[in-house]
Amino acid sequence: MTIAETSLATANPVASRKTRRPDWIGGLLAVLLGIVVVVPLIVVAIWAFAEVWRYPSLLPQEWGLRFWTATLSRPDVWTAMSLSIRLSLVVTALSALICLPAAYAFARMDFPAKNVLFLSFLASHAFPKFGLLVAIAGIFLNLGLISTFWGVVLIQLVGTLMMMIWIPVAAFQNVDRAMEEAARDAGAGPIRVFWSVSLPQAAPTIFAAVLLSFVGTFYETEGAWLIGAPEIRTMPVLMITYINNQIVVQYGAVLSVLLWIPSFVALMFTRRLVGSSSFAKGFGV
Amino acid sequence: MTDLSSTGPVRTGGTARRNGRGLTGLLLVSVPVALLGWLIIYPIFNAIGRTILRTDGTGPGFSLDTYVRFFSDGYSLANLWLTLWVTAVCAALLLAICLPLSLYLRFAKSRVAAVVQGLSLFPMFVPSVILAYALIRTIGPNGGVDLVLNALGLPKINSPYLTPWGPIIGLVWDNIPLTTLMLVAGLGAVSDNAVEAARDAGARPWAVLRHIILPQIGNAVLVVLSFTVLSIFSAFTLPYVLGPASPEMMGPFMQRTFGQVMDTRMAVTQAVITFAICAVFGAFYVRSIARNRKNGR
Repeated sequence: MTIAETSLATANPVASRKTRRPDWIGGLLAVLLGIVVVVPLIVVAIWAFAEVWRYPSLLPQEWGLRFWTATLSRPDVWTAMSLSIRLSLVVTALSALICLPAAYAFARMDFPAKNVLFLSFLASHAFPKFGLLVAIAGIFLNLGLISTFWGVVLIQLVGTLMMMIWIPVAAFQNVDRAMEEAARDAGAGPIRVFWSVSLPQAAPTIFAAVLLSFVGTFYETEGAWLIGAPEIRTMPVLMITYINNQIVVQYGAVLSVLLWIPSFVALMFTRRLVGSSSFAKGFGV
Repeated sequence: MTDLSSTGPVRTGGTARRNGRGLTGLLLVSVPVALLGWLIIYPIFNAIGRTILRTDGTGPGFSLDTYVRFFSDGYSLANLWLTLWVTAVCAALLLAICLPLSLYLRFAKSRVAAVVQGLSLFPMFVPSVILAYALIRTIGPNGGVDLVLNALGLPKINSPYLTPWGPIIGLVWDNIPLTTLMLVAGLGAVSDNAVEAARDAGARPWAVLRHIILPQIGNAVLVVLSFTVLSIFSAFTLPYVLGPASPEMMGPFMQRTFGQVMDTRMAVTQAVITFAICAVFGAFYVRSIARNRKNGR
């Protein structure tokens, strides 16, 4: 906090000098990014509510919700949705169960080979992911895990390890030691100190990591496609089939708008974490 | 922030107690570490072993037949070249877009900067399947861009959908947030004071960039490049949906060899070839993570 304040104070003269004139570069960048980032998503949103949209017309000829009913009455959509939610819940819960204690150990305990082990989690980014998935698929084929629920759980669990260890480690390290000491001096046992002092302080960051894992697992396509096919069809896999077969354009659009909801929730809750420099440091900068 | 050596005051409770704590720590990390070993480290060695050891009846032997087949097959080589080319173009485009963006975000203090930051992070929250679909509707044949051009009386665009430019546009879009974040973090090493001093001494913006900023972020740029190459080289979803069917990129090629041709050994061979090509970048990436961690202590 004090560091932030001092750096803000030193930055102030610069800031006042800058803000006196309008930020043309920023405005230009905002407009360009706005066009590139937002326009494709708006086109999809329009398609979701278009009943008839033939080529030369700039906007749909007929608007309506007909395709929402049509999409939502398809049984494969509901099967995929419930499967995706079940998968994401199981993977996130398992990941939290095994990673959070590990993160606490990495942050606060001393044990042999700690640095090497921690580094190896960060280094798991150093392999081309899809090649690795193919190598794992080769092993799963012999184990009979291809096209099973638990095969996909395992593959998606590995995908969450990095995030669920790195971010909580930072959270546990930022816990105020003085408060823990004070609680201990007041006679609290180690578990009580952890539960009432350490955990509440780390909780917001950990919650963000859990949310990011859940959403990331929900959207995970490559492992689900390679390991899960043909029996396990998650929402993103179903979406790919719709795109490839192009049955009805609006099915894809309606599903996109639906699938966005978790995205927006994640955006709301995790923007501060993602924008922070500690997040980028997890990728080795 | 993540300095592991700062484990607080070590309580001197004798060696027995410290050993106990050491064991508890190991026990707590054992499950994720085992998972990492089983599903990341073991598959790599397994893949190499499986593709160079012959197991066909005649007992164990050494054989590189699948590699010979890969490198003598024109189609496989065309796929590999396409992948290398797409990766190089994406990396160049990402740097060209994200370096100015991150320079702006690092030094701008206006309210607009927050908007720019929000917009540049936004693609991180758009899953690639939705992105692929949105791009087909926007720059595909008769898509949104064509509609606007047509309304303005201009000719249609040459749609990048199902050409190598389809996945390039998608992959660049998808990777802007992380690349920008990592570059901004790297630019954190450049002090405001150095830049201000150079500016007060009359240095032009270009000179400040070349002599003050670039030398300090060289390593960060290389880390970002390695990371980008590693993630783009074996991308699957965007090349599969947006890219050409023939030649195809390594991701879809491996998937098809595994899932449709059912030639597991060949698919794993292709995976090992991607490992080999990415090894240089991977090694550099690991080395710089290790070095950063040491310096941070």
